[in-house]
Amino acid sequence: MSEELLRIEDLHVSFSTRRGMVEAVRGVTLDVEAGEMLGLVGESGSGKSVTGFATTRLLDTAGRVTAGKILFRGQDVTKLRGDDLRHLQGAAMSMIFQNPRAALNPIRAIGSQIADAILTHKRISKGAARAEALDLLRAVQIREPEARMNAYPHELSGGMCQRVMIAIAISCNPALLIADEPTTGLDVTTQKVVMDLLADIAAARGMATILITHDLGLAARYCRRIAVMERGRIVEEANPKTLFSTPQHAYTKRLVAASPTATSRIEDLVTEEERERQATFVSKPRPELAHGTPPLLEVRKLAKRFDQGAAAVADFSMTMAGGESVGLVGESGSGKSTTSRMICRLIDPSEGEIVFDGQSIGHVASRDFHRSRFRKDIQMVFQDPNESLNPRFTAFDCIAHPLTRLDGMRGGDALRKRVEECAERVGLPLDLLPRFPHQLSGGQKARVGIARAIACRPRLLVLDEPTAALDVSVQAVVLQLLDRLRRENDIALLFVSHDLNVVRMLCDRTIVLRNGGIVEQGESRALFDNPKTDYTRKLVEAIPHIETGPLLAAAL
Amino acid sequence: MLSYILRRIVATLPVMAIVALFVFSLLYIAPGDPAVVIAGDQASPEDVERIRQSLGLDRPFLIQFGSWVWRILHGDLGTSIFTNLPVSTMIGQRLGPTLSLMVVTLLLTIVIAVPLGVLAAWKAGSLIDRVIMGFAVFGFSLPVFVVGYMLAYVFALQLEWLPVQGYTPLAAGFWPWLENLILPAVALGCVYIALIARITRATMLEVLQQDYIRTARAKGLGQGGILFIHALKNAAVPIVTVIGIGIALLIGGAVVTESVFAIPGLGRLTIDAILRRDYPVIQGIVLLFSFVYVLVNLMIDVTYTIVDPRIRY
Repeated sequence: MSEELLRIEDLHVSFSTRRGMVEAVRGVTLDVEAGEMLGLVGESGSGKSVTGFATTRLLDTAGRVTAGKILFRGQDVTKLRGDDLRHLQGAAMSMIFQNPRAALNPIRAIGSQIADAILTHKRISKGAARAEALDLLRAVQIREPEARMNAYPHELSGGMCQRVMIAIAISCNPALLIADEPTTGLDVTTQKVVMDLLADIAAARGMATILITHDLGLAARYCRRIAVMERGRIVEEANPKTLFSTPQHAYTKRLVAASPTATSRIEDLVTEEERERQATFVSKPRPELAHGTPPLLEVRKLAKRFDQGAAAVADFSMTMAGGESVGLVGESGSGKSTTSRMICRLIDPSEGEIVFDGQSIGHVASRDFHRSRFRKDIQMVFQDPNESLNPRFTAFDCIAHPLTRLDGMRGGDALRKRVEECAERVGLPLDLLPRFPHQLSGGQKARVGIARAIACRPRLLVLDEPTAALDVSVQAVVLQLLDRLRRENDIALLFVSHDLNVVRMLCDRTIVLRNGGIVEQGESRALFDNPKTDYTRKLVEAIPHIETGPLLAAAL
Repeated sequence: MLSYILRRIVATLPVMAIVALFVFSLLYIAPGDPAVVIAGDQASPEDVERIRQSLGLDRPFLIQFGSWVWRILHGDLGTSIFTNLPVSTMIGQRLGPTLSLMVVTLLLTIVIAVPLGVLAAWKAGSLIDRVIMGFAVFGFSLPVFVVGYMLAYVFALQLEWLPVQGYTPLAAGFWPWLENLILPAVALGCVYIALIARITRATMLEVLQQDYIRTARAKGLGQGGILFIHALKNAAVPIVTVIGIGIALLIGGAVVTESVFAIPGLGRLTIDAILRRDYPVIQGIVLLFSFVYVLVNLMIDVTYTIVDPRIRY
């Protein structure tokens, strides 16, 4: 056993809000040994990030440690002030964050931002600090580091920004690094590269790391010990293997069940007890498509060029039958969102044809498409339910709006009945309808977004990363909902996602995109089990699964 | 960068042309026959006719406008009807005091308002914040002439620290020049200090919420480094915009302030010219102010690109 670096004892953190004090962390006790990587896993609101921020003393001004101790090398961090605190921050202990682009100052060159951190803690010249910053850029494997020194964050990709953040965090050789959702929002392949880099650096420098994540698979791949948090408490702590094979706490069981694996099916995403209630609809078989039925959607040689630049999408063709679900996967920049937006007619294609139900709709200008009779038939669900709902519209207004605009419904009882019917179909309790988005949880907002999309009874639903911003347990419920809608209402789903596990479960067929072109397509399970191209194989291998993981295998 | 500035200068030409057209039309927009108006109550019909011909008012509008623009491009703003001096000379004589007043006011405003705003944002919700914002409301609500007379009464008449009114050119020494400008600058600056302090506070509050400020704290940076290196520069674009708008408002405020403190500047000249219906002088002054404003706008746009590397044109 190596020495103990950090010991959190019975930590309580409260936030003062308009509605009084809210306890975010209620009695967390945790040990971190020097050099180890500990996973702190939980869903949003579980208090995992707050625990991290309390440890690095970066809590919002509204947040306060109300009880407990955080002992770092025997010294209580919660009592440090002034210079003692600054010697700790960034030097002995540092932190990297979710959304690396926002975490970097947009108007300072990255070289200066790294040098800032060095100059704060070391008495060296500016030139020497810049030289060290350059070495750090090399250490985090940024290509052409000399040129990148003067680059601004907006000129770098998300993965590169996170490497710069890592460079800043390790600049003073801290003994502890707290990584708060370091790869959320990055592509799976980028996620793997960044996490591998982080693990290598931590190992090489003997730096202890707390990996805060909602992704059990990710924690399993990189950590030897995982602590599961729920509502401000640690409910279970074990090594990954024990945790996944024999979860003890009910919450851990639910979380493990909801995390998609290489083999799970949609109906597997809930625990045994919950499955009973839902067995009724799952058992209904999908109707086989009759041969010779005309396709619902046919896309031929679609292309999109922005300005005079290279094609974002080129030569994209596909067909979809009614009630079919097709996944569109690829890394960011592969053109999957552009393609989906062209198909749901939010942007105009540069070339090619889109035929819906036998009618060509590609030539209708996107700004006039709202007058087309097919607007009702093609609807979309957007990525972030927080951003895509109008904050001044109640849930009822959100769902009613397309009905009044596209179905010509007037107010009154008929409209109210339709809205309530939609809410019921997506499992949104009716008493939530008068609420505004900020009064709803993430999962409830996602349901409002889906209810709005299905209000006019569309035949094709285009979903752009609909679960990317959701917790796994909410994701599981939303996926089941989508699958049920497809079965019961015969809605075709075009599902855009970078999460291959989800696509594998939900979609009959999958199309893999890269640099705007189709690399590979086929029946989902076959495609993921036996990828034909290296690109697809790389995508598949990058997904952190609960069972697999070379680091874990080596550890046990 | 240079090509951007050049392009922007070219783009201001149509703006200046439209301004010139408006300024020239002043003479015609004002009620009555310009020649009669200029000649005054006691003029005989011959006098009116003489004035009409000397001003070229008998020629078609566009030709008059053309020759007026042509003369301006050659630096000739015309001759005052009242004093018979060239307008450019009259403006030149009055430029110094007004320019001095505006520069001192602007510097005073920025030096006081920005740190106050930063302080209020940093200590948001505290007593200091409330005092500063209370003062800002006060500064907003009081008209320039009220503040001006109050300041003159307290600091000049009662305490006798500063002169009551008047102006001394910079050539006569720095302190005599400055001492005459302090009270007018404070009076004129009050509103802008309040405005810019509020904007600085609001933008700083927003910037301080950003993730990169948390990163700066995580690096162990001190409070000063966080506030001034990381936060203030990110908050600069809206602040610079408001300072620019402030300069435009300052021009109007200068007219009132110069009257209160008896400063022989362009503001006084403007009022005199309006009272005497000295159209060439009015036109010259309005044209000059418009030109300064277009120039200030250009400078603000260039400042944006310096402050924020994401802005590229």
